[in-house]
Amino acid sequence: MSLALDRLAAASRWRRRALFEKALLALSLLALSLALPPWPGAALVLLLAWIAALGGARVGLGAWLRLVTAPFGFALVATVALAVEIGPDGIALAADGGRAALLALLRASAALSCLLLLAVTCPAPDLVRGLRRLGLPAESVELALLVWRFLFLLLDSATEIRHAQEARLGWQGWRRSLRSLGLLIALLLPRAMERARQLEIGLAARGFDGSLPVLSPAVAVSWRFVAITLAAEAGITGVTLWLS
Amino acid sequence: MAELSLEARALVFRWPGGGRGLEGLDLAVSRGRTLAVLGPNGAGKSTLLLHLNGTLRPESGEVRLEGTPAGYGRAALSAWRRRVGLVLQDPDDQLFAASVAEDVSFGPLNLGLPPDEAAGRVSEALAALGISDLAERAPHHLSFGQKKRVAIAGAVAMRPEILLLDEPLAGLDPRSGLRLRVLLAGLAAAGTTLVLTTHDVDLAWALADEVALFVAGRTLRQGPAAEVLADRALLAEAGLEPPLLLELGVSSRAEALARLGR
Repeated sequence: MSLALDRLAAASRWRRRALFEKALLALSLLALSLALPPWPGAALVLLLAWIAALGGARVGLGAWLRLVTAPFGFALVATVALAVEIGPDGIALAADGGRAALLALLRASAALSCLLLLAVTCPAPDLVRGLRRLGLPAESVELALLVWRFLFLLLDSATEIRHAQEARLGWQGWRRSLRSLGLLIALLLPRAMERARQLEIGLAARGFDGSLPVLSPAVAVSWRFVAITLAAEAGITGVTLWLS
Repeated sequence: MAELSLEARALVFRWPGGGRGLEGLDLAVSRGRTLAVLGPNGAGKSTLLLHLNGTLRPESGEVRLEGTPAGYGRAALSAWRRRVGLVLQDPDDQLFAASVAEDVSFGPLNLGLPPDEAAGRVSEALAALGISDLAERAPHHLSFGQKKRVAIAGAVAMRPEILLLDEPLAGLDPRSGLRLRVLLAGLAAAGTTLVLTTHDVDLAWALADEVALFVAGRTLRQGPAAEVLADRALLAEAGLEPPLLLELGVSSRAEALARLGR
């Protein structure tokens, strides 16, 4: 069992790039999408983020579209509210509302694309370790990484229990589904506790004394990548300021 | 008789819930040999292994390391576990880190090794288990057999004198099982003392120098593999069948003798 985002990040061509490069690209693009006028600034940011994801990191188009659909859907629904207003005559198009909604949608989509670009090229543990370098206490990092690891074990257990329940005709109809869900949750807790106890034995056998030191791979930063990123962003800024 | 490196004397242990524990168990682990602790499910084999690395403390009896009774203080346990490694049956109980290489590096770093030496241990252990190409993968992207080898690599990277393995081949398909058998034989040939629990007589026959038959929390008999596994009455008492290869040998010999008219 594995989450789509996690699988994509592990398979992305940028998986081994330094976190600094990817974070710089995604976060500075995010800043540009918020700071520059949405037209053409956000549109250019959107374009660049998609080129980076599809062309640079080689995320499959289908997978990328599935990933952006849900957040873009939310943004769309939210901006529709900007386009209309409730007046004395009922619901009507707001004056200049269409334009405002379009610009807001553009900016939201650009910002979302930047964050998704980061998520789809960096596995969660890399991001957490990055936060460690920014000063997050080691204990929090270790805890977050353990939670991340356990998430998949718990998902596995839940899937197994659910399959076993389905094989015995659970999950049929609303009432039985609710009952099956309750039993599943009740089973997961002791399983997770047992898992934790076993993990403690396993860790103790390897000298666990309260901290979880591991060797994290150090990746050299490619200054060429950084230069290209900064040049592209300078270009976007220049074009936007010149056109608006 | 080879030198004893680990010894259990009259161990008694009972689980709080009434699960099967140990009822006066004796066991001797000789240096450089492979010992299979053979017994049916629920005989208490895992409980025994947890005693052999100090995770559980017996109610009475003692575990001796190199002839001296083992201590249960913090420092004593730490020294004990440097020498005696443990691999649990379910690798998911053991793998905690975000990537294979990180997980394997945990033990060496706990030994106090500097990072570059620990990194050397990691690549050595991964190579020994044939999983160097998995170094950067996340544990949940691995197959069961791969996880099993990562868990063993995590223990091997600490270079223990004695490696305890709980049902090492359980849940593996025949091919991964065979591969692991070859790897374990390689570890044994390199000088690691192996203690493995199993209910698989064929595995014990193939891998072990010595076999301890284990029933209801006690050692029924410990001795050379060929001797113990050939004793049908003893095996039957432990609820086990003789190894297939041995059976084939015995039956074809009987056939040949019958054909010769004896």
